[in-house]
Amino acid sequence: MGSATEYNRRDIFKRAAGIAVLAAGGGSLLAACAGGTGGSSDKGSKGAGGFNLSDAKNPFGVKEADGLEVFIFDGGYGNEYAKAFEAIYSKSYPGAKINHQTDKDVTGKLQPRFNAGSPPDVIDDSGAKQIKLDVLADSNQLTELTPLLDAPYIDDPSKKVRDVLMPGTIDSGTIKGKVYNLSYVYTVFGFWYSNKLFKDHGWTPPKTWAEFIELCGKIKAAGIAPVAHQGKYPYYINVVMMDMIAKQGGLDLMKRIDGLDAAAWDDPAVKTAVEAFYQIVSKDFLLPGTNGMTHTESQTAWNQYKAAFIPSGSWLENEQLASTPADFDMAFLPMPSLPGDKLPFEAIRAGAGEPFIVPAKAKNVAGGLEFLRMMLTKEASGKFAQTANSLTCLKDGVGPEVKLKPGTASTVVALKAAGANTFNFQYPNTASKFDEDLQNASGELMAARIDPAEWIKRAKESATKNKTA
Amino acid sequence: MRHGKYPFIVGFLFLPIVLYVGLVLWPYAQTFGYSLTDWSGQSQEMNFVGLDNYAKLLDDEVFLGAIWHNLLLLILLPLVTILIALFFAFMLNVGGKGGTGGIQGVRGASFYKVVFFFPQVLSIAILAVLWGAVYRTDGAGLANGVLIKLGLADAAHPVQWLSDPDMVMWCVLAVLVWSGVGFYLVLFSAAMQGIPKDIYEAALLDGAKRGQTFLKITLPLLWETVQTAWVYLAIVAMDAFALVSSITPGAYFGGGPDHHSELISTYLMRSFLRNGEAGYACAMGVVIFFFTLILSVVSLWATKRDRIEY
Amino acid sequence: MSTSTDTNPAVPAQRAAGRPKADRTTRFGEGGGVLNVFSHGFLAVWALLIIFPLVWVVLGSFKTDAQINGSAWSWPASWGFDAFTRAWSKGIGGFFLNTLIVLAGSLTLTMLLGGMAAYVLARYEFKGNRAIYYLFVAGSMFPVYLALVPLFFMVRNLGEITPLLGLNSYLGLILVYVAYSLPFTVFFLYSFFRTLPTAVHEAAMLDGCSHTRAFFQIMVPMAKPGLVSVAIFNVLGQWNQYILPVTLMQPTTAGEADHSMLAQGLVNLALQSGYKSDAPALFAGMTIAMLPVLVVYLSFQRQVQAGLTSATLK
Repeated sequence: MGSATEYNRRDIFKRAAGIAVLAAGGGSLLAACAGGTGGSSDKGSKGAGGFNLSDAKNPFGVKEADGLEVFIFDGGYGNEYAKAFEAIYSKSYPGAKINHQTDKDVTGKLQPRFNAGSPPDVIDDSGAKQIKLDVLADSNQLTELTPLLDAPYIDDPSKKVRDVLMPGTIDSGTIKGKVYNLSYVYTVFGFWYSNKLFKDHGWTPPKTWAEFIELCGKIKAAGIAPVAHQGKYPYYINVVMMDMIAKQGGLDLMKRIDGLDAAAWDDPAVKTAVEAFYQIVSKDFLLPGTNGMTHTESQTAWNQYKAAFIPSGSWLENEQLASTPADFDMAFLPMPSLPGDKLPFEAIRAGAGEPFIVPAKAKNVAGGLEFLRMMLTKEASGKFAQTANSLTCLKDGVGPEVKLKPGTASTVVALKAAGANTFNFQYPNTASKFDEDLQNASGELMAARIDPAEWIKRAKESATKNKTA
Repeated sequence: MRHGKYPFIVGFLFLPIVLYVGLVLWPYAQTFGYSLTDWSGQSQEMNFVGLDNYAKLLDDEVFLGAIWHNLLLLILLPLVTILIALFFAFMLNVGGKGGTGGIQGVRGASFYKVVFFFPQVLSIAILAVLWGAVYRTDGAGLANGVLIKLGLADAAHPVQWLSDPDMVMWCVLAVLVWSGVGFYLVLFSAAMQGIPKDIYEAALLDGAKRGQTFLKITLPLLWETVQTAWVYLAIVAMDAFALVSSITPGAYFGGGPDHHSELISTYLMRSFLRNGEAGYACAMGVVIFFFTLILSVVSLWATKRDRIEY
Repeated sequence: MSTSTDTNPAVPAQRAAGRPKADRTTRFGEGGGVLNVFSHGFLAVWALLIIFPLVWVVLGSFKTDAQINGSAWSWPASWGFDAFTRAWSKGIGGFFLNTLIVLAGSLTLTMLLGGMAAYVLARYEFKGNRAIYYLFVAGSMFPVYLALVPLFFMVRNLGEITPLLGLNSYLGLILVYVAYSLPFTVFFLYSFFRTLPTAVHEAAMLDGCSHTRAFFQIMVPMAKPGLVSVAIFNVLGQWNQYILPVTLMQPTTAGEADHSMLAQGLVNLALQSGYKSDAPALFAGMTIAMLPVLVVYLSFQRQVQAGLTSATLK
């Protein structure tokens, strides 16, 4: 049942979770059916034997006469970008008839076709109604992408595709040791602000938490709420708070938290970070009402200069296109540093998401793989950045000739500055109940119904409970 | 009476029973089976675990809280809706100026009847979006907008409605009552119009007061309709899933903040779809089954009364 | 038994005795004035509580996205129908039609099959009568989503036998709607048939009328009021159904027609709005979905009320 709001929320969540691999268990009601009539024996991928990976022009042996069916999840990135990709494909294979499909409900449209053994050749399998990838993989419905990774990179055939991907991309596509999807969109997470607002008031973006809190005081004095968040879904605020813990405690602590090690929560770094973060609440820096607002409501309020900072992933700019003023000048801010942080200020949570797959029973597996290879060119990546206002998993994937929107441009700068200092929690994908408990606790913390000590206690209890379960 | 009785009975019952057993009872029975397994819902693999899921339920604080919320709705929703609907129905039918004509409803009674019924014809999807906008937690929300305008709420600390753990169940209840009253008002008014006017007039001659006529005449004669209404509303209360899952905070099927509006059904769906605990979710389904079974038996027993003839 | 009807109501009656209107000492004829103001006040407030949000939604279709997210009190700057065009282009008209087709079929079948079963159960003695009745009653309140997954597989398998009944078929959904409406329908029609007098029916049988003819030509017309009111409940229930169509109306091959129900379509619209922040189109979509229903209701409200009236009058 549910409604409108339920579904768009789940979509947002899915997309957020898509920062890395797909949430364990977040799939669709009927995902189980994907394995139903599966049966893997018949075709399988059209034989790795048929590939000639030293042929930079056509490593997978695409036959021009074969048509290509592309299915794009019609979500936050729209589906226009894929038409640009299809145009690129047509340049090489003008004879191929391309069938462009798009929908929000991937399961609804495609799950029966998987069952019938006639899926499209390339699928952007994302959104609330995503077909769960591990289910597809388990029932041998997916083409392994290792040949793609080992194929020559189109822009520079001396390199392999795997050498030009952002860190973490291959991990995101790996299910039980094998690579099955190309997580095409590269997402960063942090606070966002309007450069225009800051310039008008003469504020400078803070680098330390002390500066952040001091600036919040000034912002409040100027009659603007310092911080908004998407409080109806504590996912967002929880992410930035966890990032503060990761920066203070380092990657070791992050791994221990991911591993549901209850003792990790006794680490002093946790207490330092959470208590520092709680100042937002104790100093009354939150936008009135923000604790109950949806992502759309709070982000639009932020666009209307009612609040200065808001936490989000880099899909924010595209999501808010319609309500962002032209001179808003959106900008990204890594989580400000605390004294004694193990990671530098520039460190950010980043990862690849939005999985593209080539079904094993597709009619044109070679064409599907080639399509993915073409997506990983500077031309395609730039087109994506321009139409979908987000970065791709291609390293330096945006040339200087590509005109980016300010928010996306600021993430390019931030990623460059971060260098190897990117991190990404895995627990949202591996321990969804623990994640839910943390989010609930964070919601309570933001509403000041619990204090930092209680928050830590709840986190620890949940880690203990879910570890044994 | 004998000729062709049995072929006729079989002929009339065959299709309904086939449909009902095949599409309703059989899926339910399968759910019973799954409740004894550790099925994740994402593959066809499962192991028999006996009553483990049920034992786990008894220990699950979230689940126990959900039962409590369900009970709350089950008791309050029929009570509040029926009281308001009865009150309005009485107003509309006998609340008008006496005058020479004796008993009559207030002016505009038919207008009210029509308007109050509106929410009933709106799809639940509309209700959810509409009330999401009403309960918005900042000044752009309709409820807060009104309260702030009237000076009853502080713009810096708007009412948190669904995000306030102490208010959320009441807010949900309010929506259900809001949408339900019209229907029961019409139902009760219909029943009231069936009460012959001379009964009231006789009472009037006997010197009865208006309130007394309601209690001594209207309510007893309406009792059977009230019971019917109670059964309908209990069904609605058990099925508040659509509303709660869509307007309350929390990841996946609402139930927030922090499980303060969790229903068995929302918890069931989350366990099933998000947490990969389909077997556990089916056990919750079986609990709902017994809940409603008890409810059905009680209501059957309660409605088994003679009606007053008039 | 008959005494219980007299004593029982007294309990809530006494509880309610403290309510203000019971304190009025005025006589019927004279006291109307005070009570009139009192009741009009309440009625007007409640009417406002219903009309105001609905009007607000309609107004929302003319506002801009920024206005909707800005303040509840903003007033549309222009009265353009852009938002309606955007909402309509998503296929709301088609969703309406789909819903009407399914409802027409499911309502007819529900009433026919439910009426037949209830009649036989109510008026004929045979072995297993009670068992079958309780079987139906037992199913009347179970949440549908409990059966969803097995149901999906069942309908899909039916579709493999004949596509007429499978996923994304009107008939498949109609049968499911009927199956899930039967418990309620049988439960209420059963008690209704029991209240009908037996004399007419017996006379007809003596005249050599067949059982089937007796049902369709004598009992159905007599039961019309009851049938109408149960039908109204079923229309409302099936109109609001959401999870069944979402689960079962799925295209199975590329390019198959979209048979979405209205609620599904609305949710899609909301989804779109979630991604692209187009609140006006969402409000316009709600308006489009709301208005025809309200118009239909307004034109038939007499029948609806009459149906409910006659139902309670036997």
